[in-house]
Amino acid sequence: MLNPHAAEARDAPAMPLLAAADLQDNLMTATHDLDRLQTLLAQACDELMQGFHGAAEQIQELVEAAQESPSNELFDGVMRHLGGAITALQFQDMASQLIAHTNQRLRNCADQLARDAFGPDADGEAVVAAAPLRPNPVTQDEMDAGSVELF
Amino acid sequence: MHSILAVDDSASMRQMVSFTLKSAGYAVTEAVDGQDAWEKAGGKHFDLVLTDQNMPLLDGIGLTRKLRGHPQFKNTPILILTTESSDQMKQAGRAAGATGWLVKPFDPAKLIEVIRKVIR
Repeated sequence: MLNPHAAEARDAPAMPLLAAADLQDNLMTATHDLDRLQTLLAQACDELMQGFHGAAEQIQELVEAAQESPSNELFDGVMRHLGGAITALQFQDMASQLIAHTNQRLRNCADQLARDAFGPDADGEAVVAAAPLRPNPVTQDEMDAGSVELF
Repeated sequence: MHSILAVDDSASMRQMVSFTLKSAGYAVTEAVDGQDAWEKAGGKHFDLVLTDQNMPLLDGIGLTRKLRGHPQFKNTPILILTTESSDQMKQAGRAAGATGWLVKPFDPAKLIEVIRKVIR
């Protein structure tokens, strides 16, 4: 049985097909770049976390080893900086969710484009990656601490 | 010492939450998703559950619903700590029985303040 997509692809002018191929190529490149970005972020975050834990442990040891108690002002300042680092270090979780969502959307676009423009290949109808079911869960555009609501 | 079940599928978030809670003197049990949390909760006492929302296998709202259906967790405070900030999701969390909704990123001092408030 003739596939309607294949017929459309045969009848389509050459230039749009080339443009579609180019666009699909660019979309796939973008998804691969996002995959690499995920890996880089995860590795960077691992190292940041190791550094953070190392620094926090040493601060604790210094406090315990001090002959006299450190001044409250100094200790409070250190704790404030550590608290700020904890808030900022949550970037990887948020960035990772944003990237995964965008990546899924791009893959869906690239697959739909390939199916609609080129029709089925030797293996049959092209498989289209599912689009995200929900809007992007990460709506924050800054790293300030989020809201708190008790019910 | 109060004990807290901390649930998040992100390793870095689990580390940040655990560090914050342990620094404040709480005993922490970590779970990697809702299903893991449900299994770890069985037969154990926790003074509070702090869970992410978007996780594989079982999400935070699903976990809250399951815990609330168990007599042991009927009155245990459950806080959802998530990137989700839509009113629709918050209402779903509330309907499932969550005690509160905290949007990421969290501020450690504020998180501890809220936990002290809800643990009685």
